Amino acid sequence: MGLASKDRLRAKIKGDDTTVRVLLSHPMHTGRAKNDADELIPAQFIQDIRCWRNEEEVLTIKCGTATAKNPYFSFQLVGGAIGDRIRIRWVDNVGAKGSVDTTVI
Amino acid sequence: MTSETDQQRRQVLKGAISASTLAMVAASGLLLPKQLLAHWPKDAFNAETVEDALLTLLGQAEVAEDSAVSFKVGTPPSYAVNGASVPIQILSNIANIERIAVLVEKNPFPLAMSLDITPAVRLPFKSMIKIREDSQVIAIIRANGKLYKTSRFVEVDIGGCG
Repeated sequence: MGLASKDRLRAKIKGDDTTVRVLLSHPMHTGRAKNDADELIPAQFIQDIRCWRNEEEVLTIKCGTATAKNPYFSFQLVGGAIGDRIRIRWVDNVGAKGSVDTTVI
Repeated sequence: MTSETDQQRRQVLKGAISASTLAMVAASGLLLPKQLLAHWPKDAFNAETVEDALLTLLGQAEVAEDSAVSFKVGTPPSYAVNGASVPIQILSNIANIERIAVLVEKNPFPLAMSLDITPAVRLPFKSMIKIREDSQVIAIIRANGKLYKTSRFVEVDIGGCG
C-alpha cells in the first residue's frame, strides 16, 4: 500500500527459547507534528501487530501514537526449533498493511 | 406492461437485498466476540487520563503495586535524551500473564501500547516509545485476574510527541 517495505524480522534460538526481534519501517505520525510548510501531518500509525509461530498466533501488540517511529519489538517465545516459521503482520489506521516472515535460525 | 415488470423486478431485488443484509447481520452477530477482541480498542487509546485508559482497556482500575515486575525505561534508566524513542523493557516472573499495557502519564493519550500475551511468549519484552515530557511511565500487567503495576519517573530532554 505505497509504503516501502523494509520491515525486518530476526528469530534466533537462544538457550531453550526463541528470541524474536522485529523492526518495522513506518513513520508513525501522531497527527500532531508539522511539516516544513507548517501544516499538520495527518496521523498515520500502526495499530495492530500480530505474530505467528508456524500456524499458532502467539502475540498481539496494539499500538497507540506513542509507539516510536520505526517500531522495534523484542520478545522470547518458549521453546521452538530451528526451521520454525515466524510471521508478523501489521496494519495501520489508514489501512496500510505489511507482513514479513522468517525462519528460526 | 414494462412498468409492471419493473415493479416486480424491484420487489424481487429488494427482497434479495434485505435477505442478504439480514444474513450478513446474523453472520457478523455470530462473529461479534471474536471481532471485538480483534478490534483496536479506540476508546482506550483515545482516553486522556491513565485511569480512563485502564478502565476502558482492562475493565478495572484498581491495581496492586508489585515488585515482581522489573520495568526499565530509558538509557541510562530513568533518563532519555530524545523523547521520540525511549527504550523500555518489561520483565516479570508472574505466571499466566494475559495482557501488558504501557502508559505514559503526561502524554496527550497516555496508553502507548497493549500486548495480548499467550503462554508461548516469555518476557522480557522490549520496545521503544515516545514520551512528551518528564513523566511517570507505567507498566500494568494483568495475570490471573489481577493487575500489577510498576512505574518509573523518566526525565526527557527533548519531547517526543511533536
